[in-house]
Amino acid sequence: MSKTNSAVKKPSKMKSASKKKTLMLTTMVLPGAIWLLLLRYLPLGGIIMAFQDYKIYTKAPSFINNLKNSAFVGFKNFKFLFATSDTWVMVRNTLGYNLVFIVLGLVISVAFAVMLNEVTHKFAAKTYQTLMFFPYFMSWVVASYFLQAFLDPTRGLIPHMQSNMGVTVTDFYNNTKPWPFLLVLCNVWKNTGYSVVLYLSAITGIDASQYEAASIDGASKWQQVLYVTLPHLKTMIIILFIMNVGKIFNADFGLFWNVPLQSGPLYPVTQVIDTYVYRAMTTTQNYGMSTAAGLVQNIVGFVCIMTANTIVRKVDPDSSLF
Amino acid sequence: MKKKVLSIVLSAVMVASVFAGCGKKEDVPADSTEESTVEESSAGEDTDAETPSEDEEAPATALDISEPVTLRWYLHGSNVTDDSAVMEKVNEYLGEKLNVTLEPIWGTWADFDEGSTLAINGGDDIDIYFTCSWSANEYNQFAKKGAWVRLDDPENNLIEQYGSDVWAALPDVLKEGAVIDGTDGVGVYALPGYKDYGTQNTWDVNVTLLEELGYSLSDVESRDYYSFGDLLQAAKDAKGDDFYPLNIEAMVLERMVTNSVIVNGDAGTCNVLSYYIDPTDVSKDIGSKIVSKFGTEEFKKFAEQTREYYLAGYIDPAQANAQTANDVLTSKQLAGDYLIGTQSYALGYEVQASADRGIHVEFVPCTPPYVDKTSTQGAMMAISTASKNPERAMAFLNLLNTDPYLMTLLEYGVEGVHYNLNGEGLVEFTDERANYTPWRNGMGNITLLPTMDGEGDSNFFQEVFVPYYESAKGIPAFGYVFDPTSVETELAALANVAGQYAMSLCAGSVDPETALPEFLQKLEDAGMQKVIDEANAQLDAYFAQ
Amino acid sequence: MAKSQAMGGRKRRINAVSVPTEIIIHIVMILFCLLCIVPFIFVIIISFTSEESIRALGYSFVPQSLSTAAYKVVFDLGEMLYRAYFNSFYITILGTVLSVLVCVLYSYALFRRDYKYRTFFTFFSFFTMLFGGGLVPTYIVCKQLLGLSDNYAALIVPLLVNPFNFIIMRTFFASSVPEELIEAASIDGSGEYNTLFRIIVPISKPGIATIALLNALAYWNEWYTAMLYVPNDNKHIPLQYLLMRLQRNVDNLKKMAAQMGAEASKMMKDMPSQSMRMALVVMVVIPIAFAYPFFQRYIIAGLTVGSVKG
Repeated sequence: MSKTNSAVKKPSKMKSASKKKTLMLTTMVLPGAIWLLLLRYLPLGGIIMAFQDYKIYTKAPSFINNLKNSAFVGFKNFKFLFATSDTWVMVRNTLGYNLVFIVLGLVISVAFAVMLNEVTHKFAAKTYQTLMFFPYFMSWVVASYFLQAFLDPTRGLIPHMQSNMGVTVTDFYNNTKPWPFLLVLCNVWKNTGYSVVLYLSAITGIDASQYEAASIDGASKWQQVLYVTLPHLKTMIIILFIMNVGKIFNADFGLFWNVPLQSGPLYPVTQVIDTYVYRAMTTTQNYGMSTAAGLVQNIVGFVCIMTANTIVRKVDPDSSLF
Repeated sequence: MKKKVLSIVLSAVMVASVFAGCGKKEDVPADSTEESTVEESSAGEDTDAETPSEDEEAPATALDISEPVTLRWYLHGSNVTDDSAVMEKVNEYLGEKLNVTLEPIWGTWADFDEGSTLAINGGDDIDIYFTCSWSANEYNQFAKKGAWVRLDDPENNLIEQYGSDVWAALPDVLKEGAVIDGTDGVGVYALPGYKDYGTQNTWDVNVTLLEELGYSLSDVESRDYYSFGDLLQAAKDAKGDDFYPLNIEAMVLERMVTNSVIVNGDAGTCNVLSYYIDPTDVSKDIGSKIVSKFGTEEFKKFAEQTREYYLAGYIDPAQANAQTANDVLTSKQLAGDYLIGTQSYALGYEVQASADRGIHVEFVPCTPPYVDKTSTQGAMMAISTASKNPERAMAFLNLLNTDPYLMTLLEYGVEGVHYNLNGEGLVEFTDERANYTPWRNGMGNITLLPTMDGEGDSNFFQEVFVPYYESAKGIPAFGYVFDPTSVETELAALANVAGQYAMSLCAGSVDPETALPEFLQKLEDAGMQKVIDEANAQLDAYFAQ
Repeated sequence: MAKSQAMGGRKRRINAVSVPTEIIIHIVMILFCLLCIVPFIFVIIISFTSEESIRALGYSFVPQSLSTAAYKVVFDLGEMLYRAYFNSFYITILGTVLSVLVCVLYSYALFRRDYKYRTFFTFFSFFTMLFGGGLVPTYIVCKQLLGLSDNYAALIVPLLVNPFNFIIMRTFFASSVPEELIEAASIDGSGEYNTLFRIIVPISKPGIATIALLNALAYWNEWYTAMLYVPNDNKHIPLQYLLMRLQRNVDNLKKMAAQMGAEASKMMKDMPSQSMRMALVVMVVIPIAFAYPFFQRYIIAGLTVGSVKG
């Protein structure tokens, strides 16, 4: 029907219709695009600061004048990232934790979403899902107090139990061993609720008739998950994965700063790029340096994301980001 | 259909507002060039205009006050939710005197650093900023970046022209302390506030407990850190395992024991540089050199002793973490749950501390009060280079710091509303004060103020406060300030290394046997020597002057 | 609607997981939910714990003594507190509506394969997820160029767009809207806006509800923009910032304590107590937790109702 219709129309009319469509769709994009242009693209000029010794132009201080009149210093602002023997430690920690967070976050969230989908009591499903979201409301500072209540060397619950049982008391804030585990646990705890919602609402988009058809064909519940639910979630999984890969060089500052209580002896397992830069900033207050660090993180993220996207596009063009 | 219309209207509104924004954009550069010409021309007028001022209290040089001016003033540490009553009176007064409308921005502890540095870097339209050597070291940092007007600029000496009264009223040591190297050469880039400017580290002693244990204050006075052991053990024995008699702020403890002084411009909270003074005579030159704080024999000895105290259970392990240390310190102090603590002293604090804590508190000094660069730059007012009216700003600061009425009004609020004077002429605050509590030391000359109830008698400032701080001597390298610009890269790395080890070593939670050599090696790797050499080269240059 | 829900419920029961499997699911869920909710209960307990007890025992599930002092201090903020609650609701509601609208419009165009500039605008938004000019330039643009200072717009506009949500929403469209539907609508002569709001939006409710939820959370939790753009303006101050300011006062004083000496100790004494910091968390979380089921209705309800094909 559609074919006959369009064939009848004259080519010029078709052209104007498609022009109109493009125009209408562009008006839809416009509000967001203008916002992005003003609040994201315009400030991009500030990246110049990464290569400058940013100074205030005393004669007429305004941001533009300051930028125009500051001296270029090449890559000097980037040096502090490599001025320490700990560069490797913070890069390793940042990448390592992020990889674990991405993989584990994905597996657990998808599993939970699928499980919630199978809960027959809707009230129970709702309750679970609501409760899961609670950690997302709590700041890392509060989470750190909570953890401290368990781990505190003098008043914490665990050391207390240990001393009651006559076991040697673990000095958590001076002992690096438990922390990789604890930090991963904290991350899962805080972010699972968020991604479960995303996957769950993607599952709701699945047509119930697909399950019925599968069920009539004799598919077990497990097979239905494998052949109906997961393929349907594929796009969401891949998109979230690609976007997380883009942030692989950016650590969750609040987690690594607050939860280990900034304890010095834990640095080997808690120091990440963001905490290093923050500490450096408290010393120098040099915006050029923090801009430089951010630029490095973004470029690495950009390269990773483009690589991931290219691979995805080759394998499954429908799921790629663009 | 309704939805469609709605969406079109909404997007149209947005587009319109965005275009309005774009229009403004074109205004910005035009505006700023205008500003600069206005500034230049008004500066020109001032030098040749000889209009005598009608007001006797007006500053030395004639100030053209024919145009009304709004001064925006960025403050620190305020807790102000309603300033309308105060500002009404202030502006009535200032309008008469200087034709000025004052618009304070009540920065808080929470947002001052971020807010003010953004405003400075972005060239916001603000005339006067609170600034200092500690918060984010805004004074020294931004003087080098061109944010402050040099107040004693030979070409346009604002202090001489419009600020001579306040300048005459300030102690010399504060004036010297304000001199730094900035974009327009060595000079004064902000007006120092007259507040407590001496530093004195003291042992905070819980005398009540000490006497319970059968000792007296003289037992603390006659001992030093290395011989506190028996006192601490006695307290531990008496109060049990969960009692930690030594209540410390780790980084302060180190300075108290080794008599080291913060080098202004050093790596933030975890200083890596040290300058030593003679505890008996702080002004005596003991071969002034700057050294790596953690590389000395003195530090090693201190760290070993602290470790011993830590292992003996005298120090709460929670005080080794930056995040919890101060909460624990404060709550132990308030509960009187300690025997000996660390405290940098402020005049009269023992009275207040005893009252707050419900115990008898005495402070045993480690050194006489001394003055260093950091302590003189505790609270200053800088005029921004973005200010369109630096003359009027200086005139305002001059009036504020010499006029008790204005100062009291801004600090304490309106008499009869925010406070009342009692029979002895002391200030008693009303409930309204909760809505208007600026940070008292963050505004300027506090010696102009009436005494608060509980602070002392009505002559407190003139008879106690001023003499006490006048007795404080400057350290040998008093005027020296370290310029870290050329070693910023190294300092950034060093701050991280120090963050990892310094606090734990100073609180004894790690073993100096293993941690200290590791620490020193890492400092070395991060360029410690380069920073020390640079600091000493600057120090030598300072002494050569 | 009710009928289809009921039908959906029945179908599900026929095609449900086995009872043992469901029991295991319940056990896993209950364990994880305990992990999530216990810290919040802990926060509530501490907010009612007396300062003396915190000093003596630290944070504990079983305090020595209880007290409502922390809440008293918060409620003493009086009018300012109510004003802040109002502002937060106002900002959250208006901001969520606007940001969802912008998001749906933008991502719908991205979702349309036949849109000429699809790739360009996808990249245009995606790029900003990675590269930003940093704090100072953004501040300058917002404050000096757009005049976002001391007004409600300053609290709404900076959070209006989140490219992450664009891509999520696009994915939702892609997985729930059959393309034939758009074709059919277009043949029927439906305009683009008509198609979007009449046909696409109703069948994308779960996705839109999810995005709305995420945006509402973002607006409710945001305090940093308030610190930047309405720091001195008690008329527009949102709840989160009012409370965050109390908290950050303590944090920053602590940071400076070593250099400020007795001055800091004196001031810290009057700062919010540790129990009060927890009371603040409770005050912030409760309202949004109550708003949560509103969004959830669409997300969970969708579980039993498949999308209806036209």
